Amino acid sequence: MTTATVILGLVVATALAFDFTNGFHDTGNAMATSIATGALRPKAAVLLSAVLNLVGAFLSVQVALTVTNAVVKIQDKSGAPSAALLADGGYALLLIVLAGLCGGIVWNLLTWLLGLPSSSSHALFGGLVGSAIAGLGLSGVNWVGDGSKLDGVVGKVIMPALLSPVIAVVVSTIGTWLIYKITAGVAQRFQEAGFRWGQIGSASLVSLAHGTNDAQKTMGVITLALIGAGQWSDLTAVPLWVKVTCAVAIALGTYLGGWRIIRTLGKGLVEISSPQGMAAESSSAAVILASSQMGFALSTTHVATGSILGTGLGRRAEVRWGVAARMLVAWTITLPAAALVGAAMWFIGHLLGGLLGAVVVFALLVGLAAYMWVRSRRAPVDHTNVNDAWDTDASKLSETLATSPARI
Amino acid sequence: MNNIGLAFDGAWKVLVAGVLLGAGLPAIFALGIRALAYGAGGDAEVDHEAGHPIGKVLAILCFALVVIGIALGITYIVATGFGKTLSFQNFYPTLVSK
Repeated sequence: MTTATVILGLVVATALAFDFTNGFHDTGNAMATSIATGALRPKAAVLLSAVLNLVGAFLSVQVALTVTNAVVKIQDKSGAPSAALLADGGYALLLIVLAGLCGGIVWNLLTWLLGLPSSSSHALFGGLVGSAIAGLGLSGVNWVGDGSKLDGVVGKVIMPALLSPVIAVVVSTIGTWLIYKITAGVAQRFQEAGFRWGQIGSASLVSLAHGTNDAQKTMGVITLALIGAGQWSDLTAVPLWVKVTCAVAIALGTYLGGWRIIRTLGKGLVEISSPQGMAAESSSAAVILASSQMGFALSTTHVATGSILGTGLGRRAEVRWGVAARMLVAWTITLPAAALVGAAMWFIGHLLGGLLGAVVVFALLVGLAAYMWVRSRRAPVDHTNVNDAWDTDASKLSETLATSPARI
Repeated sequence: MNNIGLAFDGAWKVLVAGVLLGAGLPAIFALGIRALAYGAGGDAEVDHEAGHPIGKVLAILCFALVVIGIALGITYIVATGFGKTLSFQNFYPTLVSK
């Protein structure tokens, strides 16, 4: 086995690990409301979501080979990697991709530990931006595109992040308000059963859309790495094994369930009833589908969170603004934070160079991941306690962790 | 900066579509539930009788509309994966290549 093959293997493993974190980070986007209202038992909800993500991943026949073009300049319009990065079996390209993926994973794990829903795509983009700046300089980043369409960091990340939660809040506020107006005075037994089904249906739609959108990104990144290393040359197709492994990775991640995040979304922001759950998921599904129709790249996480917030507003229920504010902060720093990690990883890999550099970067990632997992075990959140009342000491853990890490 | 103009241009379209589908369909669903309960005791009911048959018909109509909406949504997701998209040019939805 040559050095290049080993590095390529590390990149593929890291990309699949990212896909896995992408899965559990986003389970809550679709299923948090159904779990919180008891429409589905927690295990059933994550299983349903995992299956739909798996199906969704296989449905995406179209090739997302140019996924990195949104934010960095390491491949051309056709998807072929930049020729300048291809020396030594594509080492320069592979290191940028590896470091970028590490940035995305580390940020995903940290926000999961803190129970904060943050965008996995923005974490991936952030990591890539960081490693591209480190490796290629500021010109390696696609900041604004060429102006003909929404593109670059501004068009694909910043503007959608600002606008999509607002859109989701408006849609779901209106939806909730209408539902409560229309069903006011209707006997409870009709409402419970009906809205439960509505909720499950709309949440399933969100899961399916998630599988088609997000698994593709990792498929694109892995295929780019394979092309860079000279192991694949077809710019119009993704190797079958890449498709299968990515689909399985995102589904397994989803099934694992990011219980901390599910808890924050389902119990932390607002107390959700079945009609609200249905309003939130319908709003998410409609906004996600409408925006992908119009080429408006937005994050499932931002939409789902906005929708859940909106159902609180539409019913004039209590919204825990403190929780919302922490999420907002997390969203704002997702890109720069993941970029910092991505850049740091690139420098470490570059300084050590060659196989050693890549192996050390990978080892660092494994170490950080293990550390965060161990930290999470001190106050585990799983399917048994995901729905516990929010305002108790135990559930303040994530806050305590965030404010005074030294104490725990 | 062009991106900002383009973003708002896309955003309001998403908002309109989102309100129509994301709030409109749940509202129709809610109407269906209201219809289902038509004739049955309200919030404070004790008798648990079945709703009026006409209500049931209306409810099924409402639910059918919602199901069509969801079916269109799924069709759209699947079609996108195969490089096609839904076109509403003939008013009724048709699949076209992107």
